[in-house]
Amino acid sequence: MSQKNRLQSGGRIDRSKPLTFTYNGKQFKGFAGDTLASALLANGVDLVGRSFKYSRPRGIVAAGAEEPNAIMQLGATEATQVPNVRATQQELFSGLVAGSTNGWPNVEMDLMGLVGKVGGKMMPPGFYYKTFMYPQSMWETYEKVIRQAAGLGRSPKEYDPDIYDKMNQHCDVMVVGAGPAGLMAALAAARGGARVIIADEQNEFGGSLLSSKETVDGKAGSAWVASVTKELEANENVLVLPRSTVNGYHDHNFLTIHQRMTEHLADRAPNGQVRARYHRVRAKWVVLATGAHERPLVFANNDVPGVMVANAVSTYINRYGVVPGNELVLMTTNDNAYHAALDWHDAGRKVQAIVDTRKNPTGPLVDAARERGITVMAGSAVIDVQGSKRVSGVSVASISEDGSKVTGSVKKLSADTVASSGGWSPVVHLSCHTGSRPVWDDSAIGFVPGKTVQQQLTAGAINGHYTTADALSEGLQAGQDALEKLGLAKAEVALPESAQVSESKAMALYHIPHTKPTSQAPKQFVDYQNDVTAAGIELACREGFESIEHVKRYTAMGFGTDQGKLGNINGMAIAASALNQTIPDTGTTIFRPNYTPITFGAIVGRDCKELFDPERYSAMHKWHLEQGAKFEDVGQWKRPWYFPKAGESMQEALNRECLATRESVGILDASTLGKIDIQGKDAREFLGRVYSNAWAKLPVGKCRYGLMLKEDGMVFDDGVTSCLGENHFLMTTTTGGAAGVLTWLELYHQTEWPELEVYFTSVTDHWATMTISGPNSRKLLEELTDADVSKDNFGFMDWKPMTVAGVPARVFRISFTGELSFEINVQANYGLHVWEKLFEHGAKYNLTPYGTETMHILRAEKGFIIAGQDTDGSVHPYDLGMGWAVSMNKPFSFIGKRGMKREDCVRADRKQLVGLKTVDPNIVLPEGAQGVFDPTAPIPMPMVGHVTSSYWSANLGRSIAMGFVKGGLEKMGEKVYYPLVDGRVVEAEICSPIFLDPKGERQNV
Amino acid sequence: MSDVKNETATVSVMNQLPDASIVGQSPLFHADLATIAKKGPNTGGVSFKEEALLGHITLRMNADNAEQMSVVEKVLGVALPTQPLTSVSQGDVVVRWISPDEWLITVPGLQAFDIETAFQQNMIGHYQVVNVSGGQTLVTLSGKHAKDVIKKSSPIDLHPSEFPVGKVVTSVFAKSSAVIRRSGEETFELVIRRSFSDYLWLWIQDASREYGLVVEA
Repeated sequence: MSQKNRLQSGGRIDRSKPLTFTYNGKQFKGFAGDTLASALLANGVDLVGRSFKYSRPRGIVAAGAEEPNAIMQLGATEATQVPNVRATQQELFSGLVAGSTNGWPNVEMDLMGLVGKVGGKMMPPGFYYKTFMYPQSMWETYEKVIRQAAGLGRSPKEYDPDIYDKMNQHCDVMVVGAGPAGLMAALAAARGGARVIIADEQNEFGGSLLSSKETVDGKAGSAWVASVTKELEANENVLVLPRSTVNGYHDHNFLTIHQRMTEHLADRAPNGQVRARYHRVRAKWVVLATGAHERPLVFANNDVPGVMVANAVSTYINRYGVVPGNELVLMTTNDNAYHAALDWHDAGRKVQAIVDTRKNPTGPLVDAARERGITVMAGSAVIDVQGSKRVSGVSVASISEDGSKVTGSVKKLSADTVASSGGWSPVVHLSCHTGSRPVWDDSAIGFVPGKTVQQQLTAGAINGHYTTADALSEGLQAGQDALEKLGLAKAEVALPESAQVSESKAMALYHIPHTKPTSQAPKQFVDYQNDVTAAGIELACREGFESIEHVKRYTAMGFGTDQGKLGNINGMAIAASALNQTIPDTGTTIFRPNYTPITFGAIVGRDCKELFDPERYSAMHKWHLEQGAKFEDVGQWKRPWYFPKAGESMQEALNRECLATRESVGILDASTLGKIDIQGKDAREFLGRVYSNAWAKLPVGKCRYGLMLKEDGMVFDDGVTSCLGENHFLMTTTTGGAAGVLTWLELYHQTEWPELEVYFTSVTDHWATMTISGPNSRKLLEELTDADVSKDNFGFMDWKPMTVAGVPARVFRISFTGELSFEINVQANYGLHVWEKLFEHGAKYNLTPYGTETMHILRAEKGFIIAGQDTDGSVHPYDLGMGWAVSMNKPFSFIGKRGMKREDCVRADRKQLVGLKTVDPNIVLPEGAQGVFDPTAPIPMPMVGHVTSSYWSANLGRSIAMGFVKGGLEKMGEKVYYPLVDGRVVEAEICSPIFLDPKGERQNV
Repeated sequence: MSDVKNETATVSVMNQLPDASIVGQSPLFHADLATIAKKGPNTGGVSFKEEALLGHITLRMNADNAEQMSVVEKVLGVALPTQPLTSVSQGDVVVRWISPDEWLITVPGLQAFDIETAFQQNMIGHYQVVNVSGGQTLVTLSGKHAKDVIKKSSPIDLHPSEFPVGKVVTSVFAKSSAVIRRSGEETFELVIRRSFSDYLWLWIQDASREYGLVVEA
């Protein structure tokens, strides 16, 4: 039989479903219902990794989330690699491929083992600080070696083929943990009519009941679990989540759950199913029934494979039908761990001895052991372990009553397995995530949840009450309490009966003494994953680290992927002893989310690839795509950037678009500009207060350009606002500024001027906007409308309603190119129709679509600014040479008026926006280039302003630029120099930013 | 040209619709939902339908003004819902509460201008009526798993005790937003913005995949 440690019967595995898996390149068999760990143990695989510092062989020590050693790399293919999976939590499936992550080059023959023997001495606690932080430049080299040696897995080099998603959940009661306490709480809450979510990290509900032979209500624990689970699943107000780890408990009863949906089925999620789901839960009340982890004892060579926690031994026997060895020695400080020896014995294998640290253990469990003929060695401890890749024997000696020293002679026993139990540590992690500090409970010999800061209840072993009877009654109570807090009536739920086995007092003992002092004894491990020893913690304390947080950081205790679930309390106890203080005085370190590691995929969810960020499209987007437009991201909008023809370079396309627009007619999709419909009798007054210029006299039918300033007088947005009716305006904003401007208007209206009667509504998406621009634009428009659009009847800065291509439109005679322009707005559902009609009629005028880049060039030829490109929040209208857009005579002030008058804002040498002509017309200055007045000045040269906009102008046959120059408005004709990264110094002349048609004759036609 | 020119009007209202020979293109026109619907499947856990080219009207006014309230009732045939997060419907007219001074009215597309005109002729005091029909569209998600698709997309609580039929919220939807109204036990209406509609259509297809998506035309 290949599974030499598998029992013939028993356990929750399905022997009719054998599964084949691969571990470190070798094939093994297990059964459905196994974890990877139980299957490995069934096959007698003892070695699952090598330790971080000393490269010592390590085996499986636990059976759940607390496992520190069996950290696996999973994945049959490169793309499905998953690092750092705990073998104790990975369900077995057919075809599973796993490998140990530590052990270099492999766990059986380990090069680091040689290094480790030398390197161990070179790595005392604090090596991180003592060694690796100096010299800093070497850190990267150290880090590579450490990662390889440290057993940290690797991420895949290919894209993850699976998908992950997120779901929002709400409930009245969130029950964390589905052991006896959690199930009772959920049952009561659900029967009482509450909306319940119950989550458990394991594949099956039942918790401790799955690993013991205890009965509930006279039937097998698992049968009771099945009946409760069935009732919960049938209740439509209950969400039952197995394989779901509640990983974080955040403010306001917000919890995050990592549900593994397909990781038990296959390497890759079958049929495109969601591999893992991240639930975001908002709960009115939370019941924590998270149980407890058994605490191992700290003794010499306690890391040799074959040393386990006692309860894990029971779990492997009872739940998986696996006895992980032949000869057991159990060391315990309490009665409860006797179950491990009883289970071992009952499975037909030999218990060499129960070594009980207490002087006089009594009680039914002790009697049961003696009845089976098991030797109970009282007042003794396993002080040392023999063996390297597997336990071969133990040294036992009697110890003093307080457990502080060895008092008797050392006796050797043969054994291949050592189970140890120092009692239980309540799983207070989630409770502590909320900021609640745990408190020490002497009777529980553990930290229990302290004063809660949230709507939180606790039940069962988390409270330090470890029996099944306590779990059931406290769970019921928590469920009823939750109902009461919710204002619901108590539920009809009977407390199930459970056999109450009396246990005698446990001994508070963590660190087993050795005949030698700790510093000279063989290594006594506290934290397996980070190779932290009792001697290391004592050394840290001797070196002056008194705070447990400092001890943690100095020794790296609890820094592993297991977060010290097994070792931390022992470490704190050892530190307390070394510092001569109590454990509560020493305290715990902070617990932080996540409880167990979570894959990046689950954090990302569906916010990746094409769904990473919304792409916003105009009504004409399809046309742009068909024409092969290149796109530019403006906010979330995809705007056409330019429309290259076959074989054209970008510059060639831009030159063609620019020339066609100025020579005949071009068209721009301007739909993305922000548009705000403003109505109310005080709309005009409101505009006067938020724009720097005057609005009182703008007649119906006219449009006006305005600058919007922040309180400090600096420009933050601009646009054209048109008077549609006496009390009705349409404001336009920049594409990127639209949402911010609307918020700004609402903010000022709601907080400063609520007395003004005005409403604002965004109509950005409602209107499709297309601008035809160029000397032939009027002719084109005339072909599509009956309206009189002649110069006399439709002047510059007028707007008119008219029908264009059969569609009602508002047409605005405004221009961002300096050409004769018409901005046609139609309801967006008809945008593409009008756009296409314009092209039908525009062919004879060579109607040319252009994108944002040509728009930028054409406006720069005219010296028009772009807010956000030529402004950066530090320039006021006068800096831009736009004092004409400021009216200081308005009866009510406007936002920014005072700000502009500050001393710094009226300095003569402020950076001012000017035009720049390179002396060599073929050089296009890089945007962002910094100017200097004296290129021979020593470095650092005094900088006088940067280039904000710079282009090749096909219309002018030369480069043009705009930029800031200190006092630039008074320096027309003077030179400024731009030293570039490549060593060139470009000389430019300061000029007016209006390079083309300074009198505006082209647009006034 | 069907522009209304009321000499005393202080607000410009115009009929924005062309004659019926020109077909409007709703925000999801490019997705060609009709063809997808024909291809099937016909059964699944979630059904998706665009109620294209409805009239969408934003109304802003003071709900404490009884005179205004009575004019609204006369124009719409139903009283405005003043209870936060509720809606009322009467025939084809649905009025959704958006904020204490804002409502979204949806009507058959051709009626939008009539309602705008009726407001202009009858309404008194300070208010705003804006036709936003081109800027958004209404889609319905229905079926057994419609709520699961919304749970993947929005943090709101959809349990019938918290989100009964008729309730309306404006909320986050994926990385965009939606006005979500429960119009039946298993039917939700989403009003989404035109420019985000393609992204949301992709998102909804993705989120529905595990339940099976039926597209209705």
